[in-house]
Amino acid sequence: MSCIEGKNLSKSYGSTKAVDNIALSVKSGQVFGFLGPNGAGKSTTIKLLTTLISPSEGSLTILGIDAVKHPLAVRHKIGVVLQQPSYEPTLTVEKSLEKYGMMWNVPKNECKKRMEILLQDFDLADIRKKRNEDLSIGQRRRVQVAREFMHDMELLFLDEPTVGLDPSARRKLLDFLKNKVKTGLTIFYTTHNLSEAEYLCDEIAIIDKGRILTVDSPDALKKRFGKEKTIKIHLLEKQPIVVSLLSRIPECVVDLDNGTTITIHSEQSELVLLQVLKILSENKIELEDLSAVPTNLEEIFLKVVRDNASHN
Amino acid sequence: MHPIIRLVNRNLTISINPGFLIWQVIFPLIYIFVAGFAYTSLIQQVPFGSKSLDYPSFLASGMIGFNIMNSTLVSGIIIWNDRRHGMFEQIMSGPFTRAHYILSNIATIGIVGLVSASLIALVGYPVFFESVEFSFITVPVIVFAAITGSVLFGSIASIISTRLRSSEGFNVIINTVFLFFAFVSTAFYPAEGAPEPLRTLFYLNPLTYLVDIIRAGIFGNITEFVIVEMMVLASLASVLFVVATKLLTRLDF
Repeated sequence: MSCIEGKNLSKSYGSTKAVDNIALSVKSGQVFGFLGPNGAGKSTTIKLLTTLISPSEGSLTILGIDAVKHPLAVRHKIGVVLQQPSYEPTLTVEKSLEKYGMMWNVPKNECKKRMEILLQDFDLADIRKKRNEDLSIGQRRRVQVAREFMHDMELLFLDEPTVGLDPSARRKLLDFLKNKVKTGLTIFYTTHNLSEAEYLCDEIAIIDKGRILTVDSPDALKKRFGKEKTIKIHLLEKQPIVVSLLSRIPECVVDLDNGTTITIHSEQSELVLLQVLKILSENKIELEDLSAVPTNLEEIFLKVVRDNASHN
Repeated sequence: MHPIIRLVNRNLTISINPGFLIWQVIFPLIYIFVAGFAYTSLIQQVPFGSKSLDYPSFLASGMIGFNIMNSTLVSGIIIWNDRRHGMFEQIMSGPFTRAHYILSNIATIGIVGLVSASLIALVGYPVFFESVEFSFITVPVIVFAAITGSVLFGSIASIISTRLRSSEGFNVIINTVFLFFAFVSTAFYPAEGAPEPLRTLFYLNPLTYLVDIIRAGIFGNITEFVIVEMMVLASLASVLFVVATKLLTRLDF
């Protein structure tokens, strides 16, 4: 069953199209990653999906409800952690959680119970009496994310939730989210961190300039876009001639950084590697190190966005 | 629980803190008991309708209106704080509508205004009890003034909150507005006898109307002029409330 169904969704500000005719279909019980460079239209899309703004064109159904006609009904069923910090400076951590639960009409006893669990899950117990204004950015972010779990929801929107978190807090949050998904929660997850997306997401959409460029699972994206491999060769000393020597090899792109590092992109990596080694040996150029970089989501993301830019 | 009640509960929790309460009580107390009695040697009697009030009584009754303005300006900036700290968007992405948000702020401002008025009335009562003339007409007039004044000053703070983004600009505007309202009014001194154009300026200030109505209610001196003042206050509060609501409705994310 689809949790989010968006068709021909657009949002314009004057003559600028922040979101341009996108189609989205997010299945229930999965983590849907939403990636894109700065200004790609991620936050505008989140605002559309969370009913904070209405679309200029198109239809949107969230959890089976027409989100354009009944935004409040949608908001009763979703949770939202927006990109910018949101907090009440004078409240303590525990009061923030408690009041947020009250705002969502969670019974008082249930509020207390959930608060205690979340204080533990998000490592906030030690700072429970601290006021929000006295917290570090990372602590405040943890409170902001924890707060959202004070109420029940079917769909959670997370807009770059790990910004400001240290690696261990980040991993802990991702594992917490993975466990929540196992209980049936659907997560719409926006991030800049591609390793995070790879770790967490079942499906990924890449957006740029307001348009969705591709949607697929991380593995399928790797298969589709990951044919091209990257070979990195570090030379012992600077050899400016090497680029002209290697440019004779067909079906590959050669870059030379700082004179000693050669990066080769090719879909025929094995054949290209053999030819590279032969040329280097013939010219008595010594190697310090050689590595083949496995295809990761970051490479795919950069390729998709780069191809879109050159296509435009 | 209704969404508006939940938001009012939240608003009161964030705006009423020990610092706010101390400020609300201590500040007017200093005016009433220090300035009030210190100025008695200079101002012995203040003519008020058919009566003549001693200065501490005059000032204590003025402080009720002053405190309503003070507290509602402070609680009116909830909107500004919510925008500044990302809570406006967070609340709007939750189970609330803009109407819930606006009405909850108005309700909060009204409650804070009424409580502030009662607090100062209670504290100032020993000062002005000899001249008090409460009746079935005067008490509703005081309540009317407290609520209307709260809505008026709350709306002013809300309008400023929706128009400004920087904290420096916001503080400058709020402090300027506060200074003008507080000292170019009849809260501290009577309009009678004040030189022109100061006297005219007094009546360009809504606090003057609020203070005059509350004084008339406390000392039982509801004249035709006070009824006109009530009408002016209600009209002004309605206009500002509509403007504040429109601006809040259009507030962008």
